Amino acid sequence: MTKHVSRSEFERLGKRGSYRLGALSLQGVARPSAPRPFRPSFSRTTHGGPIWAWIAASIVGVGLIGATALAGLWFAPLVVGVIGGIAARWGQWRLRVMVPAIVMVSAFGWGAALLDQAARGLPIGATARAIAAIGGLPAFAAVGVAVTLGVAVLLGLVGLWLGRALTPWPPS
Amino acid sequence: MRNHALWRLVRQVVNVIAATCAAMAVLFVCAAGFWGVPALGRALDPGNGAWTSAVGGRLPASRTLRLPGIVGGATVSFGSHGIAAVNAANEGDAIVALGYLHASFRLAEMDLARRLAEGRLAQLVGSSAVRSDEFELRLGLLRTAQREWAEMPKDGIEARLLESYSIGVNDYLGQLRKNRQWPAIFSLAGVYPADWTPVDSLAVQGELTQELDYTTTPLDYTLLARSLGMTRTMRWFPVLPVNKQNPYDPGPYHPRRLAPLTTTMTTTVSRRPAREIRGTTVAAGLPSVPPAGVAQAAAAMLAQTRALPPGQIHGYPDSNAWAANGPKVSGGGSMLAGDPHLPQTLPSIWFEVAISAPGFYVSGVGVPGLPGVLIGRNRHIAWSLTDTQNQATLFYAERTSKAHPGQYFWRGKWRAMRQVNYTISVRGGAARHLTVNLTVHGPVMTRAGQTVSVDWMGNVPSPDVAVLQQISVAHNFSQFRAALASWRAPAQNFVYADNRGNIGAISAGYYPIVAGGTPWLPMPGTGTDDVVGVIPYTAVPQSYDPPGHVIATANQRPVTAAYPYYIGTTANFFDPGYRASREYAFLDRRSNLTMSGFAALQNNLVDGLAVRLLPSIDKLLRGSAVPTRGGDSPVPPAVWTPMDKQALALLRGWNYSMDPHSAAASIWWALWTDYVYTTFEPWWRSARVPVSLDRTGLAPSTGQASLVEVLERWTLTDQANPAFSPPGNPPGTAASVLRAAFATAVAQLHGKLGGGPSSWTWGKLHSRKFPSLLRAPGLGYGPQAAGGDPWSVDAADGLPVSEAGPSWRMIVQPGTAGHSPPTGWGIYPGGQSENPASPWYENLVADWWNGRYLPMPSAGPAVVRGNVLWELEP
Repeated sequence: MTKHVSRSEFERLGKRGSYRLGALSLQGVARPSAPRPFRPSFSRTTHGGPIWAWIAASIVGVGLIGATALAGLWFAPLVVGVIGGIAARWGQWRLRVMVPAIVMVSAFGWGAALLDQAARGLPIGATARAIAAIGGLPAFAAVGVAVTLGVAVLLGLVGLWLGRALTPWPPS
Repeated sequence: MRNHALWRLVRQVVNVIAATCAAMAVLFVCAAGFWGVPALGRALDPGNGAWTSAVGGRLPASRTLRLPGIVGGATVSFGSHGIAAVNAANEGDAIVALGYLHASFRLAEMDLARRLAEGRLAQLVGSSAVRSDEFELRLGLLRTAQREWAEMPKDGIEARLLESYSIGVNDYLGQLRKNRQWPAIFSLAGVYPADWTPVDSLAVQGELTQELDYTTTPLDYTLLARSLGMTRTMRWFPVLPVNKQNPYDPGPYHPRRLAPLTTTMTTTVSRRPAREIRGTTVAAGLPSVPPAGVAQAAAAMLAQTRALPPGQIHGYPDSNAWAANGPKVSGGGSMLAGDPHLPQTLPSIWFEVAISAPGFYVSGVGVPGLPGVLIGRNRHIAWSLTDTQNQATLFYAERTSKAHPGQYFWRGKWRAMRQVNYTISVRGGAARHLTVNLTVHGPVMTRAGQTVSVDWMGNVPSPDVAVLQQISVAHNFSQFRAALASWRAPAQNFVYADNRGNIGAISAGYYPIVAGGTPWLPMPGTGTDDVVGVIPYTAVPQSYDPPGHVIATANQRPVTAAYPYYIGTTANFFDPGYRASREYAFLDRRSNLTMSGFAALQNNLVDGLAVRLLPSIDKLLRGSAVPTRGGDSPVPPAVWTPMDKQALALLRGWNYSMDPHSAAASIWWALWTDYVYTTFEPWWRSARVPVSLDRTGLAPSTGQASLVEVLERWTLTDQANPAFSPPGNPPGTAASVLRAAFATAVAQLHGKLGGGPSSWTWGKLHSRKFPSLLRAPGLGYGPQAAGGDPWSVDAADGLPVSEAGPSWRMIVQPGTAGHSPPTGWGIYPGGQSENPASPWYENLVADWWNGRYLPMPSAGPAVVRGNVLWELEP
């Protein structure tokens, strides 16, 4: 932002006590900024495929996590996260896309397992409340569900990180 | 450029290491847990973790189950409220089915009970339970249970019942190990129950005995005597009550030779032969004040008990049981009512069930973990229990010497203490090691200041399960009485009614008699004051078909002052007798009572002390001539504020009912509380009584039966007692203290509740709640405004929020032999299931709260249409 400089300011130039020319910038007279050096970017501007592929992959991930949770394989979100991390590295997909994707897939995966049990007539809400209370948390069903889904999300995110870290950069 | 590549490589390596470490840490915590944090992955896995407990939250469905323990077959039928009826081909199958049933609905409760008793609670809940585990291992519930099982004849009825029960529980555990549908607490903790054994049931029996029978009264007496002095202590906490108590066994009594204290499961072997002593052995005159070392030990032992979970030491003696017959009962015959008062939790301590097999039928409530029914009826008789409250805990100051390490002096010789070592597993922490020293008296509970051991009747093997089975099949009073002869602990008042119109009561159990004279204080352990026997069974308090046609027990002293044996002091938790007075007054005045009449009495909120005392208090408050100490000049009339006058008017118009909507009830309670406090607190302050060590046993409060009794007596007949003139205060009388207390009470109520006296309803001050057994906030019930106080029949204690109360209300008409069948009604607050997600978790609370009852189930081959039915097959 530049400040308005009055004409009288210029008339004082060269006189005793006057400003130096270079000091004009201190009064708000902006210099033109230096041009940025060119730095080439190798990231893609797209996110690795059509949207339907992303949706399909997410559904598969949710189904995989949900089904394995019902089978007792509680670490499935981590595995899915690792796969996501490898894919993200190879596909050069950005974290700002992958993190929400893994969060949603992990949470929806365990959430789907809970919904499945609720659909079979089990009192999942009341059980969630009991889990929260026994765990020393506020006795609300939402708390029990949130903590459970939080664990799935944590596993998924750690998996994502591990997958990305372990995967070498693709050849450019 | 090279630097950039190197930097990138370093960053990648660091990233790989960090990601791997983070993943391993998260996996480790999720798989195994860490330092108290549960294995989150396993615990919260929707398919196999705590979420699978949702299956137990569903109502059961009819099905056929194949159980390895069943031989002939059994059915379990559930009524709409979840009350179960077991019908089996034989008694063994019935008990297997009962074990399976208890485990299906109360596994966590059972496991917690055995862990608590066996000192293994910390393995499940972590370091917070270490002190409880140390206490229980010291006291020795596990040692006693192991001894009981080791000595029990394995072909006897008790062993067969315990084994059948264990088989049933383990059948259910086997199913859980396959389907992983554990109660949530196990999945969350990652600690799962081991197989059930007969020793576990006996340990649960021991835990119940401790809850009803273990007292710290001698420790409190020690600290009171050290601070108040022995004279005042024995005057204010006397051995015999100074008020009227309505004992159910008024005598005459016949002193008999003491019976031996049998210390094995068989009834023929005795370690301690009885001496030729007839009658009481209480010393005349004042005992000497215990030395400082004993007081230090007492303080240490009280600190141990403070670390126990709530309700492990008996606190509030508020149970009721009465029976009436003849003209008192509509249609003749007999009728019985009982409401044992215990800590009220969700789930309840009780599980209601009817069990039948050829030659065996019983209906009532039992304790999950124990085979059988504790309170209930069969086809001929009905029975209920109240705690006898006698002194069953004796402390001994052992003589030890640095010159004789690991030894104690007894009967003229130095003897080695036996040592038992335990390892206490702690979830999320390092295991602890504990060494327990044992003397001839019992376990050493502390060595702080003085080595003190405890001789507790709960550590005497007691064939309770066999006795309960024999009661279940008794047809008449002689069989009932004969069965109870083997009952040793906890001493209980068994109230009885039968279908021939007879009623009775026996306070069965061991009443230890010592050679010395001061069992209410820690005694020397050198052998001079040892237990020399117990009151013979023929001489324990009992009554049969009394001429008044009424027997009522409400934890009052069951005998008069003429009883020739020592059974405990007024401070030993005997109730002051106000509830018993109300029960006798109610039943004596009426005839042709029906079930609804008994129900009205069970739910009665009238304060027995107020009935007895308030007219005199009113007179004293109004300033009628009251003699002062040393003269007969009247106390000048008080100056009343308008609020005082309103409050006094409410009191005068009061019907003595501690109704939650009554303002007078609040004024009465506040007045009495302040009266007790104003009278005694200056003495306590002056003597520096260490109240903080045990508020229940040491604080000058309405919870001190002894203080309540003496203050009642002084108010009625000794208004110038020196106790009203404490040190540093001007001379006072009952009237002056009452007036000060009244002014304080009104000011406090106004300050707390605001408004005028008519708005100070009792429900604003008093409430009830039923906390979760796991102490998990949100899984309990209440608090809700409630009526009652310690001296109403529908008693409430531990004010302002009562967590103990009528844990089961039952009324039974045993019927008339050959004419009418027995009928029973019962209710307890809670539900049959411990699963908070189950509709049967708290479905009975509303009925209980509103004073309603449900018919007790009848067992038999006939199954009510619509009931859920489990068919248990081999």
